[in-house]
Amino acid sequence: MDNLQIDGTRQTPEISFNAESGILKLDGRSIPENTFEFFTPVLNWLDEYVSSAPDKVVAKINLEYFNTSSSKYILEILKRLKVILGEGKDVLVEWYYEEDDEEMMETGEDYEDVSGLPFEIISFEEE
Amino acid sequence: MSNQSIYQNELDNLDQSKKFLQRENYSQMEMQLEFKKLVENYEELIDQVKIITKISDRLQKKLNKTNDALESSNVQLADLNNQLNKTIDQLTEAKIGRKAGTIVMFLAIGLFIISEVILEPIIDKAFVDQKYVGLALKLVVAILIKPGEDFANNYMLKKARKQQMKEQKEKMAIEDSKKKKKKKRKVL
Repeated sequence: MDNLQIDGTRQTPEISFNAESGILKLDGRSIPENTFEFFTPVLNWLDEYVSSAPDKVVAKINLEYFNTSSSKYILEILKRLKVILGEGKDVLVEWYYEEDDEEMMETGEDYEDVSGLPFEIISFEEE
Repeated sequence: MSNQSIYQNELDNLDQSKKFLQRENYSQMEMQLEFKKLVENYEELIDQVKIITKISDRLQKKLNKTNDALESSNVQLADLNNQLNKTIDQLTEAKIGRKAGTIVMFLAIGLFIISEVILEPIIDKAFVDQKYVGLALKLVVAILIKPGEDFANNYMLKKARKQQMKEQKEKMAIEDSKKKKKKKRKVL
């Protein structure tokens, strides 16, 4: 299966999904004008990935800010990861936030609660 | 279109339930199954709405915090800009003051030389008995130095301010035309 690579912009996050290594990175700011157009290929890729995912899948999510419709799509991404988990694969979500960004940390905790996926909430220092 | 598409799954589920209701015949078991599915979908939708609302409110808070920080930075920047303008004004005034002082000094020296070389001999001849006339003339020149310096200072300061305003107007006109060009590009 091909990797999925979408370069980040000022309004959209960088998507870097490596099919073979199982490292799925989502990095940046997500405020696309058309969230459906942006996230549909991502969800389609994940739908296909369910059957070919390796034994360990790590989703590394590092978002600075995202809009309401993106929050719905993040839920959809987590739902697909839950399906992979249901297939008996090892799935981990690493949720990154800047150390003074309390809101993003709590958001990660909320996603952890609602998704039922194993989460690691990781803080990093501001550059 | 994009908003409809976000909830495509949920809309599809709703359509399915509506279609089921339009059927004329269905067994108790089928109805129970359909109702169970509907309740499950509804429950999931409520969970989603709850979490999305919570996250959205929280990120709005983050946005407000960022806006506040930006506003406070803007105020600080405006203060610094004012201070800078004041300092520039003070420097300009000092520079002009020095220039005016130099000009008046040279003028005074010139007047002194003129009075010594040209006026003094004439006065000496005209007022033979009155020795203090020449001295009085020099005194008048000396008294006029300070007001002369002030006059030159004010005149040069006015000129410099006019020049500053002209430059500022030109700058604003350039910025306006840039903004207009940007707007035009957006419209196109």
